[in-house]
Amino acid sequence: MECCGPGYSSPADAMKAPREKLLYTIAIYTGTGIQKPDYLATVDVDPKSLTYSQVIHRLEMPGIGDELHHMGWNACSSCHGDSSMVRKYLLLPGVRSNNIHIIDTASDPSAPRLHKVIDGADIKSKANLSGPHTVHCLGSEIIISFLGDAKGEAPGGYLHLDKDFEIIGRWENSMGNIKFGYDFWYQPRHNVMVSSEWAAPNTFMPGFDLEEVGHLKYGRELHFWDFEKREPIETMYLGEDGLIPLEVKFHHDPDSTHGFCGAALSSNVIHWWKDDVGKWQWEKIIDVENEAHPEWPIPVPGVMSAILVSMDDKYLYLNNWLHGDMRQYDISDPHNPKLTGQVWMGGLLGKAPIVNGIAMAGGPQMFQLSLDGKRLYVTTSLFSTWDNQFYPEIRERGGVMVMIDCDPVNGGMKINKDFLVNFGEEPNGPSRCHEARYPGGDCTSDIWL
Amino acid sequence: MNIITIANRENSKYEVKGRKPLLDELRDQGVDLPYGCKYGGCITCAAKLLEGEVDQRAQVALNNRQINDGYVILCVARAKTDATFEIGVESHDKLYRNPFKDPLQPHELKADIAVPKDY
Repeated sequence: MECCGPGYSSPADAMKAPREKLLYTIAIYTGTGIQKPDYLATVDVDPKSLTYSQVIHRLEMPGIGDELHHMGWNACSSCHGDSSMVRKYLLLPGVRSNNIHIIDTASDPSAPRLHKVIDGADIKSKANLSGPHTVHCLGSEIIISFLGDAKGEAPGGYLHLDKDFEIIGRWENSMGNIKFGYDFWYQPRHNVMVSSEWAAPNTFMPGFDLEEVGHLKYGRELHFWDFEKREPIETMYLGEDGLIPLEVKFHHDPDSTHGFCGAALSSNVIHWWKDDVGKWQWEKIIDVENEAHPEWPIPVPGVMSAILVSMDDKYLYLNNWLHGDMRQYDISDPHNPKLTGQVWMGGLLGKAPIVNGIAMAGGPQMFQLSLDGKRLYVTTSLFSTWDNQFYPEIRERGGVMVMIDCDPVNGGMKINKDFLVNFGEEPNGPSRCHEARYPGGDCTSDIWL
Repeated sequence: MNIITIANRENSKYEVKGRKPLLDELRDQGVDLPYGCKYGGCITCAAKLLEGEVDQRAQVALNNRQINDGYVILCVARAKTDATFEIGVESHDKLYRNPFKDPLQPHELKADIAVPKDY
């Protein structure tokens, strides 16, 4: 389809897009002791530029204490056929403040500006939601998962915004028996959405009490939705194999029913697909073993807080935030993944305390892959209170962004020696970078109708 | 009316009326304090109570160990007596804990799931 809407006609078309020259990452001061607003940083990723590998612009949010976290576009390839839409605005929810910041990245891509703020109190009063997380556009509209109600209790629900960022209300018709919310991804040709479970904001925001997992305060289920009816129709109980199932990704191929979820605490990858008789099935395909620490009574799990699927659906990337490694698996056969690359950066096991000359605080946490699959940008902070528990030195050192060169043909990963953005040296003091996005769309946003 | 003393700000003193949470009353008087959710659920505004008593029944963020270590969620707490606090991240030495290194005992969990010590 030749058209002039945002995004690309297909994943294969997206892979041919020009190389990214800028990327956006949020950086937080919430929880660091520095009384400044969180901000959106523009990072120069054009190797020909004089400011390559540097923060070249900082857009501060209007207030302090937001805890910016994940982001999402107002439009993606799901509106490729709609010439009235433009990928112009990046939505930045504040997990703690509940405010949604709408950022105009198109008027001047290197210096984004604030377009609008949806007031967190307004969201509480109109939709009874708090703790925003994942943003996806749905054609011309937007839904955002929230992890709690206005009082921070689970399961929350989905905020529905129109294309002018006005609150329509709740998107879902029912939350069914869902206990918790977190991430979601939809695959419209199969009329399905899959959602995962972290915990209630009142549980995870103060920090991680491992003991609460046994008291069922954290999730262990995946939910399959009738996307058009906007209600959950099937739950998969993952049990001990799926403790704290976080990031949910379908194949980019819109015809595929295969998808994946990283269960953070179990540190497993769960794979699902629709079988020949039309029934959803799941299996565990990757299992990262806990590691004993010489001085601690409880073995340390990997904490697989994120996963990502390359645009050609060939590779799955995952992190182990507490162990300190990033891995690449060939998932050409999604039932039988093959480990094809691994690098170490930070972590609690002491395998790579220094990367490109910088003492690391934290481990690999969020990452974004270039559309062509060759460059993986990785940041080190998870969430302010959780950072403070596991990596207290991050207060003084801040977060970093590292680039890993990936071989999309033969497999393999290597930390790039010429790139590192040290958020420990920011003008207002050490901040912590988190999720990253490219102006032209990325491997964690675009969905095809 | 109660007097709040901030020990790690040169023992500066502030009068509070108890009509609003301590976070608001102190910020209104120019004390620079961190905060996040503003409803007692997220721990960002925690301070350490060194002396005095507060009512923080509305908080849902602290476990019993943190409460026993003196932590107070300022965005919902009100003073019941004159009180002395340490504020900001300097007061957070015992607030955060690595659970694999230092597990909680059953009585140290959050109030809704804690098991009484002598049970």
